[in-house]
Amino acid sequence: MFDALIGPFIQFDFMRRALFGALVLALGAGPIGVFLMLRRMSLTGDAMAHAILPGAAIGFLIAGLSLPAMTLGGLIAGIVVATLTGLVTRYTVLKEDASLAAFYLLSLALGVTIVSLRGSNVDLMHVLFGSVLALDDAALILIAGIASITLLVLAATYRGLVMECVDPIYLRSVARIGTPLHLVFLGLVVLNLVGGFQALGTLLAVGLMMLPAATARFWSADVTMMVVIAVTAGMLSGIGGLLLSYHHGLPAGPAIILVAGLFYLVSLFLGRESGLIWSLLPRRHLEA
Amino acid sequence: MTSTMTQAAIRFDDVTLGYGRHPAVHHLDGSIARGSLTAIVGPNGAGKSTLLKGIVGALRPLDGRIEMQRRGTAEGARVAYLPQAAELDRSFPIPVYDLVAMGLWNRRGLFGGISRADRGRIEEAIAAVGMTGFERRSIGTLSGGQMQRVLFARLLLQDASLILLDEPFTAIDAKTTRDLLDLVRRWHDEARTVIAVLHDIDLVREVFPETLLIAREPVAWGETNSVLHPENLLRARRMVEANDPFAQICARA
Amino acid sequence: MLHRRNIITLLAGTMLVGVSAAPAMAQERVSAVTTFSILGDLVSQVGGERVDVTTLVGPDGDGHVYSPSPADARRLTEADIVFKNGLLFEGWIDRLIDSSGTQAPVIAVAENIDAIPDAGHGHSHDDHGHDDHGHDHDDHGHDHDDLGHGHDDNGHGHDDHGHGHDDNGHGHDDHGHDHDDHGNDDHGHSHDDNDHGHDHDDHGHDDNGHGHDDHGHGHDDHGHAHGDDDHVHGDYDPHAWQDVGNVKVYVANIRDALIAHDPDGEELYRANAEAYIAELAALDADIHAAVAELPEGALVVTSHDAFRYFTHAYGLEFDAPVGTSTEVEATARDVARLIDTIRANDIRAVFAESLTDARLIEQIAREAGVPVAGTLYSDALSPPDGPAGTYIDMMRHNISLISEGLGS
Repeated sequence: MFDALIGPFIQFDFMRRALFGALVLALGAGPIGVFLMLRRMSLTGDAMAHAILPGAAIGFLIAGLSLPAMTLGGLIAGIVVATLTGLVTRYTVLKEDASLAAFYLLSLALGVTIVSLRGSNVDLMHVLFGSVLALDDAALILIAGIASITLLVLAATYRGLVMECVDPIYLRSVARIGTPLHLVFLGLVVLNLVGGFQALGTLLAVGLMMLPAATARFWSADVTMMVVIAVTAGMLSGIGGLLLSYHHGLPAGPAIILVAGLFYLVSLFLGRESGLIWSLLPRRHLEA
Repeated sequence: MTSTMTQAAIRFDDVTLGYGRHPAVHHLDGSIARGSLTAIVGPNGAGKSTLLKGIVGALRPLDGRIEMQRRGTAEGARVAYLPQAAELDRSFPIPVYDLVAMGLWNRRGLFGGISRADRGRIEEAIAAVGMTGFERRSIGTLSGGQMQRVLFARLLLQDASLILLDEPFTAIDAKTTRDLLDLVRRWHDEARTVIAVLHDIDLVREVFPETLLIAREPVAWGETNSVLHPENLLRARRMVEANDPFAQICARA
Repeated sequence: MLHRRNIITLLAGTMLVGVSAAPAMAQERVSAVTTFSILGDLVSQVGGERVDVTTLVGPDGDGHVYSPSPADARRLTEADIVFKNGLLFEGWIDRLIDSSGTQAPVIAVAENIDAIPDAGHGHSHDDHGHDDHGHDHDDHGHDHDDLGHGHDDNGHGHDDHGHGHDDNGHGHDDHGHDHDDHGNDDHGHSHDDNDHGHDHDDHGHDDNGHGHDDHGHGHDDHGHAHGDDDHVHGDYDPHAWQDVGNVKVYVANIRDALIAHDPDGEELYRANAEAYIAELAALDADIHAAVAELPEGALVVTSHDAFRYFTHAYGLEFDAPVGTSTEVEATARDVARLIDTIRANDIRAVFAESLTDARLIEQIAREAGVPVAGTLYSDALSPPDGPAGTYIDMMRHNISLISEGLGS
């Protein structure tokens, strides 16, 4: 048992690197996912993931196969889309979901067009997407840096973020920071997606953001607790997915997300907060 | 009203507020005196909430200017705004205590820590609205009246010189309304300027010395009993017509 | 054997329109569209100055996954003849051909080779056991002899192919005759109006050298081929060009298709193909010699398992963390197994692959403590100024890299 659980990580350096990458990624993506979920923006991660791909593609066209250039390109595209979305939402009748959909599709189409015009057929997904099994020092530093920035910025803006979630109009009445705060938050989303692409090698990176968050919602009604649970669930998914990939030959990235999905499904049924099983097992109500 | 001009908390200078190019408040002129307790009354669609949003700054005037009088202190006039309850995400898992603590924003901002003295004031505010014991309850579990009490506790903490209330007693039982009105009176006694959008004419007569009767355009403005003359009320009801999609450009602009 | 198809009969139906659309001037060059860079090179080698070659997926482009542009559809529409690898290497091409509405004949050059079934990734490794290896090797020597013998026949197609070839030669006489009949100023284009259809029939007959029945038969085959294409998705490993013997078949197919389309150029096509096949034979021999020089149990570890035909033809084992398609994701088990294999067998170097992300193979190299000895080209040529600008350069580059990295 010990061998099966610990052995692979002792024996192989790439497994240790994969483990470190997955754990650090879960650390940053967990809280981001919780806030996305609480703001009813669970699909934003997915949309943003598509929005940043063209930026990475343009970065590739300008600087070639350079990880920093592509990361930067993706970040810029993500921030531009986020900013435009925020501005349109604030100043027009369009709601956030519709304006985000409009801009991410525009970004995607623009990216594909630019790549096609350049006539390059390098599969950009493969360039931008690393593999959790192939994390070199640069990738690990990138992921760790992103997680650190994420945690620091979240800690600093936590109060504002919660207010912006629960009562944006109140926040607007006491301070003009709602919009900048929102943009900073979306910037963190983009950062974590780029890190996730590196580590998980697939668009499923969004999964390590949203699945643990959704899992956490079934276990707690407190934001801080949810963050803790989401990070824990994300980390356990990383460990479980890697072991599954090692022992049963499943592709590593999807295996991690599958384990995260498993946690979600179990929580959906057994979760303390409104898990489905509680509606099937009627309990006596309390005295008060 | 010229006598109060020098002490005005808010001055409206030919203000038109609206959505798109359609005015919801049309050519409002006048001012609200500092320390006054004013009710805004009018039929549905008269532009009452729109006017509050304009004062808070959430809506930019299509025309004219809204001037806020500085209080003489460095930070200027502080505004506290209670929107209609529906605009708050009640499903967000946050405890009562944390929601009330938001009222400290002006002093603590984004980064400032909450001191022991602050904790005392938060507890005081919760006690003042009769919600002691509910501190750890999630806001999603509160009734409508309890929620309104919690929001008033937050207003208390905000310590604002100008307080705007948008239909604060709608769907609230008599006991809660009485308790919260006590707070409104307390604010008035503390020389804060309070403006409330209200529907209950009797309540306005009882508590609010000043009234603005509005139906897109101001119908009457001044001492409550003269404003709420039946003739004015009838006129206000007639003035709110249907939205005209083919409206011409306003010649008074 | 499963894919033994008479390309010529397959051609016949589409020829009708193809010829009518042929340019009026006899000197006009044939416009050929190929799907990927290696095939583009082969068609250029055979076509020489008579053929303009357009390649859809250029150098360093991945033919497995490609999103065609409308310009590609236009190229197809304007093409006189289209070459694809087949064996579902370029899965996107059939839909593009359909949607472009091109009337040009479409030649699947790998259609009549002995395709290797594409066993799943995990399975293929079990199959690679050492005993099997020796066995394969013997078999292979045998194949090779056959190849030497059947040189004129261009190898794998063997008898049938040779037969088809003769027929074609035969048809050619007829064809020349036919052509004379038509007069010199153009080729099949002078038929106006009603004559047109009639002449077309004749043309089909003569070209095929088979008569009407066969012609119809060819059509049936074509229909079947299409059905099969959809059906056998992933059943065969498409990277057949890693065996030079297969490329001889490719070249013969290209030659025959070009002749069928452009009989005027027959002489040139035959000469080019013959010269090129001779070069291929030399290449083939050199690869055999180079592989023989490698130490016992040599194993080429690279990022993308596209070399199974190479293994089959030359007896050199390959191993990779991901399977034949570039779209598959690696598993921790395979990576661990590779690292163990490299350590256990004292392998001195691993190789990157031009179309696959090198990060994974670099990780493996780092952990196994061996260098990455260079970049192999498997599915696409490099740009002309690179180390693998042509098919022959590519194969020579690969084998010399392997010899350097693994040799003693």
